[in-house]
Amino acid sequence: MSDNTKPNFARMKFYCDENRCIHCDGCSVACAEAHELPVEISRRKVVTVNEGIQGMEFSLSVACMHCTDAPCEEVCPVDCFYIRDDGIVLHDKDKCIGCSYCLYACPFGAPQFPSNGAFGTKGVMDKCTMCAGGPDDTNSAHERELYGQNRIAEGKVPVCAAMCSTKALLVGDAESVANIYRERVISFGHGVQSMPYGWDKAYGN
Amino acid sequence: MANTWGYGAMTNSLGDIQNAKAIIIFGANPAVNHPVGFQHFLKAKERNNAKIIVVDPRFTKTAAKADYFAQIRPGTDIPFMYGMLNIIFENGWHDKGFINDRVYGMEDVMKEAKNWPLDRVADVTGVDASLILQITKHYANNSPGTLIWAMGLTQHSNGSSNTRLAPILQLALGNLGIEGGGTNILRGHDNVQGATDMCCLSHTLPGYYGLSDGSWKYFAKSWGVDYEWLKGRFKDPSWMNKKGFTLSRWWSGVLAGNPGEDAIHNAGTNLKAIFVMGNGITSTAQTKKVKEALDNLELAVFCDPFVNEGAIITDKQNDVYILPAATQFETSGSVTATNRAAQWRSEVIKPMYESKTDQDIMFLLAKELGFYDELTAGMKIKENKKDFKWPEDATDEIARIIKTIGLTGWTAKRLKEHQENWHMFDEVSGRGYGPMKGQYYGLPWPCWTESHSGSPILYNINRSVRDGGMGFRNRFGLEHDGVDLLAGKGSAPKGSANKDGYPEITRDNIEEVLGIKLSEAEKKAIGKNWKVDTSNIIAKKCMEQGMAPYGNAKARAKVWTFADPIPLHREPLHSPRQDLVSKYPSFADKKDHYRVDTRYISEQTKENWAEKFPINLVTGRLVNLNGAGMENRASKYLAKLTPEMFCDINPDLAGQHGIRDGSMMWIHSPEGTKIKVKAKYSHSVTNDRIFIPIHFAGVMEGVDLTHKYPEGTAPYAVGESANTVTNYGYDIVTQIPETKGGLCRIESA
Repeated sequence: MSDNTKPNFARMKFYCDENRCIHCDGCSVACAEAHELPVEISRRKVVTVNEGIQGMEFSLSVACMHCTDAPCEEVCPVDCFYIRDDGIVLHDKDKCIGCSYCLYACPFGAPQFPSNGAFGTKGVMDKCTMCAGGPDDTNSAHERELYGQNRIAEGKVPVCAAMCSTKALLVGDAESVANIYRERVISFGHGVQSMPYGWDKAYGN
Repeated sequence: MANTWGYGAMTNSLGDIQNAKAIIIFGANPAVNHPVGFQHFLKAKERNNAKIIVVDPRFTKTAAKADYFAQIRPGTDIPFMYGMLNIIFENGWHDKGFINDRVYGMEDVMKEAKNWPLDRVADVTGVDASLILQITKHYANNSPGTLIWAMGLTQHSNGSSNTRLAPILQLALGNLGIEGGGTNILRGHDNVQGATDMCCLSHTLPGYYGLSDGSWKYFAKSWGVDYEWLKGRFKDPSWMNKKGFTLSRWWSGVLAGNPGEDAIHNAGTNLKAIFVMGNGITSTAQTKKVKEALDNLELAVFCDPFVNEGAIITDKQNDVYILPAATQFETSGSVTATNRAAQWRSEVIKPMYESKTDQDIMFLLAKELGFYDELTAGMKIKENKKDFKWPEDATDEIARIIKTIGLTGWTAKRLKEHQENWHMFDEVSGRGYGPMKGQYYGLPWPCWTESHSGSPILYNINRSVRDGGMGFRNRFGLEHDGVDLLAGKGSAPKGSANKDGYPEITRDNIEEVLGIKLSEAEKKAIGKNWKVDTSNIIAKKCMEQGMAPYGNAKARAKVWTFADPIPLHREPLHSPRQDLVSKYPSFADKKDHYRVDTRYISEQTKENWAEKFPINLVTGRLVNLNGAGMENRASKYLAKLTPEMFCDINPDLAGQHGIRDGSMMWIHSPEGTKIKVKAKYSHSVTNDRIFIPIHFAGVMEGVDLTHKYPEGTAPYAVGESANTVTNYGYDIVTQIPETKGGLCRIESA
């Protein structure tokens, strides 16, 4: 049911361009460093399929895809998931019991489980937050301890996409992400960009 | 490259690769070794519809993004390139006008190319004839084409021939001095170009000035020290003019005299001490020799932010010192990027704990050794100061002295301006906008004067010299065997007062060649030639006339001073094709090669190596690790990606030896050394070769050395050093090790 009284929020999405991803792992290492993850946790992982086979090898970076109709949220027995107005799927680690039912439901293998006890440094179940923290007070010590950095609250791009060496990994409002990809497709074969958009107006040639 | 057209550096830039219509990559894997730079290759593909051609012994991550992939046998790049040239000449696809006006000696190359018909090239390289033909046709007919290489082309006993034939291929197609063309060598570490320019090498003075008395005198004067004092520092004056040891063979200087070791020429003494600053000597070839040499030194000092594993592999118990050096974030100054552009860096934090910056370590050392005043005198000259300010005065000293590669414009003030305004430059052309208009980012050298724009593309005659244009350098004389070496008519840079080829500018020829008259005051102040003209009158007058101080000459395809004037194929010292060794033998052994007698033909024919060691050994890098890996393996997240040393092996080859995926295996080398590593099944290598990464240390020949790290300093990942099993073999000109084409034998562990 649509609610016309609410403003239109962005709908945050990831997109990884397989023509550009080179499996450099810049995204996954940046994620682990930024959120100080235990080493056994891979919020984001780069996967290469058919490695070494000519014509068939390709790589993609995968994390929580922040589904609109998130299966993890549907199946959670303690209802710890919540979806923000901008579409980012988060969960409350103080409610989570670490049952792993969400892992069964997730089509992407996103949920991670720390091996150093149910109440380890990153809590019971851990996953990509799109750098948006958790339900605790924004930028509080508790939020940082359980969920890592809250870069979205600071107006920053999630660290994985910021670090991406070839800009294969895009993140942001779904419309903007689609526009960037559309521009790449449309400009195919049409020559090199001579200067950043608007520079000729601003600075002359 | 310097011997082909004047300068040994990337001709264009990473951003300029976006302008290419075809990209051919020999022995480089930028998707892994230059991941950020690789975005320009991908953008060329997307926006320019450029095709990527990869010629490599293994199917790399770069090959995964390529349109054509030729899986070449290691050490056969020359036959591959001659095969291409033969097809190009036969079909008339070469650029006749360009060759006529701007290249010397191409006829000899044309003659040699005839010896490489397609079926022979296919046999020697192991690549299908039809694929070679397709690649050549595509590359020759899609201009501009850029040619990329890295260590896969250079690390061979004939690497210096490889790096001459690649430029010749570009010259034949007229792919030089244009946007989207050039020979673009990808530098493997931060500031390699800067380290080379400042000569962290043993065969020249900084800025590629030679070791002649004249050069020493120029530097003595410029450094503000007494020439006689400098001379007195040497055992006798003749040693001033001799090359030193190379990084790859320093250990011979220690071990010479032992049975089986090469003889040295080092003033009658072996090396007794080593001082290592930021060099992963555990990743240089023949690690076992490195270890033995360290064991036999009187003193070994390592300065690094992390523990240098040279200190771990040695059994030496006393007089081994590990000094904590600061990182690049704890100091400031300029570095030089792969495209000859400068970048200024600021100090982010003060050096942590008891660590010291490299320069402070050197200053303290110089004080103890008693020449601190001489070491720092040059920094005070420009403004006649009592004391100097680091790093600004050091940068200005470099700008004041180094004319050869045109660093005159690189003053600290300008470099800082570029750092502060880096958002004002275009990513593809490097051209500046707004306040930076008329300059290119980082002032790529040559940057002839303090107001020069920098030169983003070498040898580009479509731009004026004032805007970074130039012809080829006049470096090899005016004629050879009666043939004029100056450029032909009509190939002068845009706006040049002299429309013909012209020699390098000297005090004696400046008036005639530039067509000007000097005033009496100028005549008095001007230096002998453009390389030592500290008055900078020559450069300034040249800019006014739109002419390059180094002249306008032809590139040379033939280097008459080399063992092979025209690059020739020579099989690696340890070749899997013994049937080809007699047909394409290596060089004669070379005496006193950077102070070490070096074996070529005698090593190659000592045994039928392929009988006992039938498998090709290829080494290379991983994306998450760098160099010797000391720094990266100390990061838990990077170590997690490759926690163990491994070997990429084709399942078919592994099956023949009973080696399972994930099980341990031994690799034995002809040097009598061995390593124990984990087998990783991979189709990226064919069943006649294996691949091992170079970044591990801390295990040697199956023995774990973890207990030898000082408490709390052991990295998260240790492993066998690949170079424990790399083979003997060093380039005929540069002494670079032949790590990209050795042999080995494998067995299940």
